[in-house]
Amino acid sequence: MRSVAADGGYLSGLGFESEKPAGLFRWLTTVDHKDIGVLYIAFAAGAALWGGTDAMMIRTELFTAGTDVWSPETYNALFTAHGFTMLFFFATPAFTGLANYFIPILIGADDMAFPRINAIAFWLLPPSLLLVRGGLVTEVLGKMLAAVGVRWELLFSLEPPTTGWTLYTPHSALLANPQVDLVLLGLHLSGLATVMAAINIIVTIFTERGENVTWSNLDIFSWTLLTTSGIILFAFPVLGSSLLMLVADRNFGTTFFAVDGGGPILWQHLFWFFGHPEVYILVLPAFGLVSLILPKFAGRKLFGFKFIVYSTLAIGVLSFGVWAHHMFSTGMDPRLRSSFMAVSLAIAIPSAVKTFNWMATLWGGNVRWAAPQIFCVGGIMTFIVGGVTGVFLASIPVDLVLHDTYYVVGHFHFIVMGVITFAAFAASYYWFPLLTGRMFNRRLGRIHGYLSIVGVFLAFLPMILIGYEGLPRRYASYPESFVPLQQVSSFGALIIGIGVLIWLTNMVQSYRLGPIVTDADVWNLRESGQFSREWQWFETQLEERTKFRR
Amino acid sequence: MKRPLAAITGGVTGIAVMSVLLLFLEVETRSNLAIFEAVARFAGMPGNVAFGFVLFVLAGVFAWPLAFMALEEYIPGGPDPATRGMVLAVVLWVVFVLTGRGDLSGGLLAIYVIFTLLAHLCYGFLLGAVYGRLTSGGPLEAERYDPTDVSQ
Ligand code: HEM
Ligand SMILES: [Cu+2]
Repeated sequence: MRSVAADGGYLSGLGFESEKPAGLFRWLTTVDHKDIGVLYIAFAAGAALWGGTDAMMIRTELFTAGTDVWSPETYNALFTAHGFTMLFFFATPAFTGLANYFIPILIGADDMAFPRINAIAFWLLPPSLLLVRGGLVTEVLGKMLAAVGVRWELLFSLEPPTTGWTLYTPHSALLANPQVDLVLLGLHLSGLATVMAAINIIVTIFTERGENVTWSNLDIFSWTLLTTSGIILFAFPVLGSSLLMLVADRNFGTTFFAVDGGGPILWQHLFWFFGHPEVYILVLPAFGLVSLILPKFAGRKLFGFKFIVYSTLAIGVLSFGVWAHHMFSTGMDPRLRSSFMAVSLAIAIPSAVKTFNWMATLWGGNVRWAAPQIFCVGGIMTFIVGGVTGVFLASIPVDLVLHDTYYVVGHFHFIVMGVITFAAFAASYYWFPLLTGRMFNRRLGRIHGYLSIVGVFLAFLPMILIGYEGLPRRYASYPESFVPLQQVSSFGALIIGIGVLIWLTNMVQSYRLGPIVTDADVWNLRESGQFSREWQWFETQLEERTKFRR
Repeated sequence: MKRPLAAITGGVTGIAVMSVLLLFLEVETRSNLAIFEAVARFAGMPGNVAFGFVLFVLAGVFAWPLAFMALEEYIPGGPDPATRGMVLAVVLWVVFVLTGRGDLSGGLLAIYVIFTLLAHLCYGFLLGAVYGRLTSGGPLEAERYDPTDVSQ
């Protein structure tokens, strides 16, 4: 860790306390919430880059109509791995990391309620990722051995699974590939990690709040993470149990999901009872970040704070009542079907409440287009497109036409690549000075912001149109007539990718060489009375450093 | 630390990360890119993958880092040694793409070109950054951040 800098006594943000052991050992043994937060964030960034590679490979295949780049099996493996990696190993850990770092600071606590469990929860993730993408790792080993002349067939027997992230039975139950079992165990392990982190967040917010932090002045980020963690607590155990039932079906002859047992539809019910809340698990923290960051660059307080909190709680509850909208085309009872349609339409209301509150916050504000703000507003734009297309999907007749077409992929990417990833980027810029003690290159940050907005629209609007024309998803080849739109989409993906590389360069180089922050009010927040708790904390840290130097 | 030793340490770090990246790419693309055949061609050993790979590692650990040390001041991109390392790596990458691409074409060629460039950039960055860390007393001079100056 660098400890002496040009100004004589500067400590980087990752090296605040001096009594910690140095180097690798510190990171392996730490139970400090800030260090664990940083570990989570680094892990999530690595996973995102890996999953992004998969996305680029998917788009390369789809650039031409035939299957001329990868084989169909490789293609299927690619989108399966892409889905798993992005949902379970990028988005969830990224927000858990931010929660770990900032919630204790925002609520005036010394640390999380259970620091050791916190560390364990993090350290379960790397093995889960290795299990889920294990086929690759064993094959790497196999190739290394083969290069020196040893050929160990076992290492080549694990093929990347081709089930899709929804793991629909009977396909996933019947695939002979033993890697599928490892995937199920890996996902189960990551679920344990997620539940442990969620319990920690809930208990921390309930019991560790400082004297002057009450429910009514709890910040919006903590509110959304509290709700998210509540959803996790009810959703993930269902996933865990279903995964174990599937493992049993595959290996021990049980018939939970066999045709003459519970039937394949049982899997879909259990999976989506988890799967739909999961999308809110991902999006609520993103909403929280937008609600937190947007007002700082609008020069005004968040409009309708209370209603944003209520709408968050409402979404948390309603998210468990809509799962069967993923199953409209499976032929369930029409009366049941329409009740799920009604709840799905209802959940659009609290989402719209948030959107209107954000717009009202911007209204008449003194908006500054710094990188975090570009990402917040870009995220609202993509969320509107993602949300409106979602309302269409929630209505049964439309869904029966569009189900399992590219329309669906376009819809959810406006949300996962749009608002979710954008909020993560916004946070990475907004808190960068606090985390590292240095400033990033603001021009590059803005360029990244604009590129990402253009990229997302170019990449995913064509998918909506392709879906309207009826092209089903998950096929490596497609009719010639779709070539132009598919190519626009691949081009958009490339632009997103270039933006990500700019981000990575900016983060790494600014961490090493960026201008040093000496005044905690990097964003001029005092002016509008929004110099919030984490920045006040940062200010005392900077003061301590100066004392240390003298 | 002595400068040659620092350069070699940088080379070891760089080549380790780069090899893992290439290996992952190779496996993830189900060997469609034949990266290690390309490495062998690059190292002047077409067909002999194991030996070509050994040459590749030796060059990455000794030849390029020592050349980097000798040429550092003439490479554009300074004063940050990591940027200079990346400049050197881009030159190496051009040779790599020209000698190693075999008969790839279309989408595979695009993937090959982009990802080998990224792997080279990682190598150059690590080579320069580690070398810089081990040879100088502290980080480079950094200015202070001034929120009112929009040009920063
Ligand atoms: C540049 C960014 C991205 C691109 C170009 C991209 C591209 C794609 C494409 C083309 C598919 C459909 C594959 C198919 O059905 O044949 C897909 C699926 C998927 N993507 Fe992305 N994606 C990106 C980012 C993300 C992010 C950030 C997330 C989540 C946080 C994500 C989550 C998913 C999921 C869950 C699936 C579904 C997999 C399945 O249905 O089996 N993607 N992506
Ligand atoms: Cu849903």
